[in-house]
Amino acid sequence: MTMVHLVIAFTIGGIAILSALLFWFMPRLTRRDLYFAVTVAPAFRDEPEGRAILSRYRAELIFFSALALVAFVAGIAWLGVGFVSTGTFLQLVASFIAFYRARQRVLPYAVPPTTIREAELHDHNRIIPGGWMTASGPFILLAACAGYLWIRGGENPTPTDLDGHRLSVYLVSTAGILASLTLILYGLAHWVRPVHAGGDEGARELKFRKIVSALLLVNEYFITLQASWIMLVPRRGDLTIVVLLPLVLVFVLVAIVMLARLGQGGSRMPATVQTRIPSSSAPVGDRTPDRYWKLGVFYFNRDDSAVLIEKRFGLGYSLNFARPTAWIILLLLLMGPLIPILAHFSRFLPKLGVH
Amino acid sequence: MLRIDLASRVPVYEQVANGLRAELVSGKFSVGEKLPTVRTLAINLGVHHNTVAEAYRQLANEGWLELKRHRGATVVERDRPRAGPDTMERFTRPLGELVAKGLADGLSPSSLARAMIETARRLERKI
Repeated sequence: MTMVHLVIAFTIGGIAILSALLFWFMPRLTRRDLYFAVTVAPAFRDEPEGRAILSRYRAELIFFSALALVAFVAGIAWLGVGFVSTGTFLQLVASFIAFYRARQRVLPYAVPPTTIREAELHDHNRIIPGGWMTASGPFILLAACAGYLWIRGGENPTPTDLDGHRLSVYLVSTAGILASLTLILYGLAHWVRPVHAGGDEGARELKFRKIVSALLLVNEYFITLQASWIMLVPRRGDLTIVVLLPLVLVFVLVAIVMLARLGQGGSRMPATVQTRIPSSSAPVGDRTPDRYWKLGVFYFNRDDSAVLIEKRFGLGYSLNFARPTAWIILLLLLMGPLIPILAHFSRFLPKLGVH
Repeated sequence: MLRIDLASRVPVYEQVANGLRAELVSGKFSVGEKLPTVRTLAINLGVHHNTVAEAYRQLANEGWLELKRHRGATVVERDRPRAGPDTMERFTRPLGELVAKGLADGLSPSSLARAMIETARRLERKI
């Protein structure tokens, strides 16, 4: 096993452990009236039924995570070190099964959320942190990189990395990911429906949204620098992995800690002013009916114009799959992994007689 | 702050129009000021944009707003209309329902009358 394999295993193992920890604590990080992505009375989680569901969820999380670990080790032993990349995926599947079973147990206790909707008419907070100049920085960096490669094209017309991919593949896939993240960044300013329009909750939500936007922006710069490094120094692939992957782990850790301290929508932040009296006795939740949440994680509501809405079981935002813009964002995001795969397979097409 | 109730018997577009009209009457928007775009308000309220567009059209027909494609809704100077014969009828019917609700909830007729007079005086100063 080489140094590179060790770093990959360390990073993927680290992300898998972080993911498991996040799922462990997640029921305590969401809004009080949302429990396992189901709208419930705010006091439900502290009642015996609520606590029993949490205990069973955590026991199952350990059980399914252990199964995932066994599958992971068996996979490596059987298929080789290449199987290491599935570690995080297996952990996610294990965590999702535990979550889904807990959700099914909470559903009988579901209550309808409030039907009251609020909107701030003088809303001047819908701006991208750092403005458009900061948001366009990654694209400028990527374009500069592409320009440099294009000028050098005369010397080496098809520069490739260690895996033999054309570097233009990296360029296109990175541009796709950046476009997707920029759309989300814009969406966080313009396409998100705030749960609370004003007051203390509104201010906390706004702070949460700004921090998520800032993290997204940092992520964009990180991806661009990583892609630029791969394109400009293609022969140093090992160094790229050894340096950049641990940085990914650190970034994920910092992002999770920051968001976990705030809680979903800033719900764990201390109140600065007296919280307003709820407008109705029904729980507010995230003001979306449960029936629009497929499996508790996918939101699909044709009557809702918002493209991004708060996650029900997670920290951040989810897409409203009833809106075409959501599919564009997803498609651009998938360009990242799909284009290198397509480029890889396209090399075999001539052998099959396909032109 | 605009507030609507999706469970109300009053159609959503009408609630949006009523809420915005109250803001306009109370002078929270000055002449020339822009209202949020249809899309922004629809997103904030979690309703379809056609619903908000219908409310904006209603207010434009009443002379409160000027709607221009791709330029949003602008508050315009509005002449005070002369009340027609059916105006009082259109007003007293929903008022009767509201008063009945107030009485049913335990408010006294005198406190309701006082509240109505105070509200009318407060709004009149701003028209």
